[in-house]
Amino acid sequence: MKFGIFYELSVPRPWDGESERKVYMNALEQVRLADELGFDQVWAVEHHFLEEYSHCSSPELFLTACAMQTKNIHVGHGIVICVPEFNHPIRIAERAAVLDILSGGRLEFGTGRSATWTELGGFRANPDDTKKSWDEFVHCLPKMWMQERFSYEGKYFSMPSRAVLPKPYQKPHPPMWVAVTSPGTELDAADRGIGSLGVTFTTFAEQEAKVKEYRRRIQNCNPVGGFVNNKVNTVNFLFCHEDAETGTKIGMRMLQHFNYLAAQLDMAKEAYPTKSYLSAGLLPSLRRQASSPGELGKAPEGIAIGNPAHLVQELKKWEACGVDRVSFMLNAAEIIPQEQLLNSLRLFAKEVMPAFAEAQPARAAAGGGR
Amino acid sequence: MPLFGKQDVQAAVARVPLMKGFGTEAWELKNAEILHLAFEVIEGPAEWLVPPALHPSIPPYATLAVARFPTSPAGPFALAQVRLVVRAGIRPRGYLLGAYTDSEQAAAELRTRWGFTLGLATITLQARHDRVIGQVMREGQTILDMELENPEQIAGTEVTYLDNLHLARVMENGKETPVIVQVDPEYVFHNAQRGKPRLISLQADAWGGDNRLRCTNPMHATFSRCDTDLPKLRFGMDPLVPAVQGSRRLAA
Repeated sequence: MKFGIFYELSVPRPWDGESERKVYMNALEQVRLADELGFDQVWAVEHHFLEEYSHCSSPELFLTACAMQTKNIHVGHGIVICVPEFNHPIRIAERAAVLDILSGGRLEFGTGRSATWTELGGFRANPDDTKKSWDEFVHCLPKMWMQERFSYEGKYFSMPSRAVLPKPYQKPHPPMWVAVTSPGTELDAADRGIGSLGVTFTTFAEQEAKVKEYRRRIQNCNPVGGFVNNKVNTVNFLFCHEDAETGTKIGMRMLQHFNYLAAQLDMAKEAYPTKSYLSAGLLPSLRRQASSPGELGKAPEGIAIGNPAHLVQELKKWEACGVDRVSFMLNAAEIIPQEQLLNSLRLFAKEVMPAFAEAQPARAAAGGGR
Repeated sequence: MPLFGKQDVQAAVARVPLMKGFGTEAWELKNAEILHLAFEVIEGPAEWLVPPALHPSIPPYATLAVARFPTSPAGPFALAQVRLVVRAGIRPRGYLLGAYTDSEQAAAELRTRWGFTLGLATITLQARHDRVIGQVMREGQTILDMELENPEQIAGTEVTYLDNLHLARVMENGKETPVIVQVDPEYVFHNAQRGKPRLISLQADAWGGDNRLRCTNPMHATFSRCDTDLPKLRFGMDPLVPAVQGSRRLAA
């Protein structure tokens, strides 16, 4: 199992001229340390208009800064919103290729479609169409990267023959992922031969069954790209402390703040009746995970907060379910002071990572389909 | 911390009903018809319509509903509501700004049992093949005129109606106390449609919106036929204290 870190970049009110810069600088310091400690990936979301919850609207810029300040850690562009009102697919392909070049082939490319009315309504995107535009984009992007010239006549975009430049550093292209939140999207991922990112389930048993079905189905996939990425990555929270009670207490505060901020947003399902969003999406999914009932004073099942022994125990359960990677959110609303957070990362690397052999920093050279 | 509402509760309380208590029995409302539209609203002024216990949603939006209930313990009645969507802690809710009914008998019950701030008006709900029309007229003036255009069938599972929050007064320990009560009906859908929302007119001051409720970006329109209810009251909160601290389970 490999470990990564995952950023929403929440900026709590009250805001002043330094608030956002401080959050970004703190995150960069965490990424540099994570790289030194042997974490495998850093992911950054694309969100727009999500006051306090996420001020990460240009993840490719943040990830470029991450790449330029680190040596090994992979940069996860995740997810890029594959909706034409948000991003033209040509620009997505170009930006991703540049990030892959600048990072020396360390890009992981995540795709998705947004789950909030706050964002979809803000760009005046039709929630009915997002799954369809996502499908069109994920089929075209690898071709833009692999073919010298590309032309296309589609429903959500069209273009005459042009060379989409530059091409990614990884050949044939970076590993592709899709954010899996709605039921069945893990099967969409499998059918297209792309990785399953951010699967969150209510129980380990259900998780195990879904991973098993994903693995079975991807054997017979029709890959959208030049290779199959058959990995499963889940999102989790991380706070590690020598003292179990302290670790749980501080970790739970992070979860509660995350939960509270996420709940203020207008989810697509709440605001627009459509079969395209029958489940509420990633944020409520994570919120359920964050607020699921646990014993008093203990972390909810599967959440990586507490002391190292507890974290090993919980992460072993994820591993047993077939999860290949876990990406951790480290903070919410800056509730955990920076030094405490950095110590949590150090302790995790020292006491938890060794229990998961593959998470050791012996890395193969970066390249597609690793 | 998210923004809190800035409503002057003391002033708002002057126009809300005095409830008999929290021990009401539920009403079954079979074969209801509900026309429901949603529009984003201009956020700054709308914050002044939300009590300090609640957060405006991001972005804030209003729901406008006209419903007809052919059977109830008070006889048939129609109900029109204008609500502002808020968050009570982490829960999405519709905070009632104002409501009207066409039945005097229903009005008395709705005010005293469930804390509806409402008046009497002529309410029209017309379901046609090309549109569904909801209109409310008070003293000869149209105070709400809205339509769902080009209805198309959808599944009932696609429709979301948020629970209501009503600012009301109640006698507690010998004195009148402001309270927000939660009214959380259940719905069993027989049929549902959606279409394009069209707001022809809304006289905001007739609904407790003063000049602060200004609808902008259209979001959705639905029309449903369903069985629903007005349930027993389960939760209440102090309008001046953040909902996570000021909420309580109501004793019957």
